Amino acid sequence: MQRSSWLGLAFLSPALIVVLLFFLMPVILTGIFAFTNMSTATGVKGGSYVLNASSLRALTDAGLPDVTRSQIESAGYRVDERGLAALAEAHGQAVAEEFSKNHAGEVFTKRRDVERALKDLSSNPIRKTRDRKAAADLFKRSILNQRYETLDAFEAALNEAGIPKPDRPLITEIAYTGWTWTTANFDLLLSLDSTWQYAKNTGIYVTFTLAFNVVFGLFLAITTFYLPAAQATAFRAIWFLPRILPPVLYIVMWRWFTWDTGFISTVLSGFGVSSKNWMLDTEYHAWVTVILINGFVGASMGMIVFSSAIRAIPASMLYASEVDGASRWQQVWYIILPQLRWPILFITSYQTMSLLTSFEYIYLSTDGGPGGSTEVWALAAFHTALNNYGGNLQYGLGATYALLLVVIGVLASLFYLRLFNFKNLLTKPRIEG
Amino acid sequence: MRISITNFTKTFGDTTVIKDMSLEIESGEMLALLGPSGCGKSTTLFSICGIHRMNAGRLRFGDKDVTKRPPQERNVGVVFQNYALYPHMDVHANIAFPLKVRKEPRAEIDRKVLEIAALVHIEELLQRKPSQLSGGQQQRVALARALVRKPDILLLDEPLANLDAKLRLEMRSEIRRIQQQTGITAVLVTHDQVEAMSMCDRIALMNKGDIVQVCKPKEMYDNPASDFVAGFLGNPPIAFLDGIANDGEIRLANSEVALRLPSNVIDLSNGTQLRLGIRPEFFQPENDMKVTGKVSFVETQGREDLFDVTLTNGAVLRSIQSRGGDIKLGDEVTWGISREHILAFGPGGERL
Ligand SMILES: Nc1ncnc2c1ncn2[C@@H]1O[C@H](COP(=O)(O)OP(=O)(O)OP(=O)(O)O)[C@@H](O)[C@H]1O
Ligand SMILES: [Mg+2]
Repeated sequence: MQRSSWLGLAFLSPALIVVLLFFLMPVILTGIFAFTNMSTATGVKGGSYVLNASSLRALTDAGLPDVTRSQIESAGYRVDERGLAALAEAHGQAVAEEFSKNHAGEVFTKRRDVERALKDLSSNPIRKTRDRKAAADLFKRSILNQRYETLDAFEAALNEAGIPKPDRPLITEIAYTGWTWTTANFDLLLSLDSTWQYAKNTGIYVTFTLAFNVVFGLFLAITTFYLPAAQATAFRAIWFLPRILPPVLYIVMWRWFTWDTGFISTVLSGFGVSSKNWMLDTEYHAWVTVILINGFVGASMGMIVFSSAIRAIPASMLYASEVDGASRWQQVWYIILPQLRWPILFITSYQTMSLLTSFEYIYLSTDGGPGGSTEVWALAAFHTALNNYGGNLQYGLGATYALLLVVIGVLASLFYLRLFNFKNLLTKPRIEG
Repeated sequence: MRISITNFTKTFGDTTVIKDMSLEIESGEMLALLGPSGCGKSTTLFSICGIHRMNAGRLRFGDKDVTKRPPQERNVGVVFQNYALYPHMDVHANIAFPLKVRKEPRAEIDRKVLEIAALVHIEELLQRKPSQLSGGQQQRVALARALVRKPDILLLDEPLANLDAKLRLEMRSEIRRIQQQTGITAVLVTHDQVEAMSMCDRIALMNKGDIVQVCKPKEMYDNPASDFVAGFLGNPPIAFLDGIANDGEIRLANSEVALRLPSNVIDLSNGTQLRLGIRPEFFQPENDMKVTGKVSFVETQGREDLFDVTLTNGAVLRSIQSRGGDIKLGDEVTWGISREHILAFGPGGERL
């Protein structure tokens, strides 16, 4: 590489860093998260080691020998050096020595048994029940329901409890509360019926909204083209409003429009129709609302692009079609629409991409309802990862949903890019010699 | 078909482009709308075919009043300055378009397209897209599209402006041939006097939205109605001398030189402001009414040489002569003006 190109790269480096940070990193992180079981329970940092009732159940399911299991359960109270030293400190050397003489090396399953042993000491040195309980706890060696912050501490505890070495890796794995690498998300995702429902919903959402966007955008562009300039500008400005309105405001308006005390209900009640929530009462109404909301917002974009494309058609070509005898309809059909082929393709591909990944208007309006009937893939990813009713946010599973969406998006962009390249071939500038 | 325009006015917003224009174009005639850029030629043409609405006045094709008719109902073929071919259709579809929108049967369309393609010699180009054609070929396609439905009138807006010199010559005679072969009434818009004179039966010369003279090309050259017409026609252009009439002579401004006036204006009253127009071919060494000046410009035009001669008062005369002399820049020459060919104009530019 020449020096000048290194220099160029150096100048570009801030931009490269930005690209890496804000464009590539999200995708990479999504990819990483998708292969983990991260959730609220595991946290995103490391975890600790805990054995509890549910992990015991999991251990049994995973084939832990019953002997080992009962060993874990019964590793209750052990009279060992450490405990005796603590006892000596709390209640005097004499007490410790006597207790050691009677019970050294013994294991008690229950605290009550330890307490009784303490009570049975000559002269009953620990009189208060509360103190006896505390003293018994000094010998507690159970690893159940104990939180160990490091692997070393946990392994030491297993060692102390005398758990057989071959069983330890399994126990360690299940006791770990942090996240781990796994491909289970993908299996789970493919096995869930709801996944296919999300895919179907996304298909409906993208297809109908896209059709609405393109057809309505075209309609607006063509009608405003034939209007006098001032009216056309006013119309375009009005149709552009939804796009510049904050989504929340726009949705508030729609909600008010469809509420059971809202506009539609109020008007229809005058005709004897009982009022109801027109957005969420049926699946069908929910879809119509979702498609209209997104359609109106998206149509403004199509309208702007198509309008400027129409205005780029040389006026003389339109004049020519008029003197050739073409009516307005024929002019639109034979002259204007064919020349909008590439803008239409552009809008189609661009909107496919943004619709695939967009869910904010659905989230704000139906939130996937009623009963998940308008839950699209991107919204499912959001709900799973960031906004779960159950409270356990499954970052890993959500990232898996998102990752699949990224893959579909990349494939679709490659497909559209090929189409656009094809266009370049068609309209290669012709150099006259 | 005869076209008659009466009291036509066209305004865009506040600017009046055409004011009170009247023009008659005979059936089967080819008329040139000639004039400098921006004088309203295209505006007139677009009003004839209905693209522009007339603000006032009447337009008749034959006996039919079409003033209020939309372009679709006028049956006019138009060739636009940039041809305005439809880039997404091939040549066949371009030519067939006027028939297709009339929903003529396919077989009929194909027959007519082939027929017209033969007339303009583009049979072998029918499958190409406009972007695959040369300028001259595009021009022929535009012509074919304008003619295919047998329009009553053919309008051409500077059809040759985008062609190179050789092709322009070729297409000039080609368009004329097709016009005469079909006998169609045609209006040719151009700012090129040679084009207008060589292709058309008559010329309507326009200036600032007005028609200043309508007549046959030769007559307009020999007998211009004003100094504007005289100055517009002729290449190299006519030269003007300003002065004051005095006893059948003209005393040139700021000088002692006096020249005899042509016989048709000899009895002007003394003191009248005058403007004489002298074409280069009438300022020659052998003519008898001599003037003296310095050669201030020499241009060799192949067969002929062109000279500018600056007189003592600063006025310039032009002369075009066969080659052969050895006159150089700065030489003093005494050449003669052909008295009876002098064109005399009054103070307002009107012909005397
Ligand atoms: N749509 C329009 N709006 C405003 N003014 C216009 C419009 N079309 C033409 N004009 C003006 O009308 C005048 C005549 O225009 P026109 O196109 O008829 O000229 P032209 O004689 O065809 O000139 P050229 O030889 O350059 O084509 C010009 O001054 C032009 O600026
Ligand atoms: Mg013009």
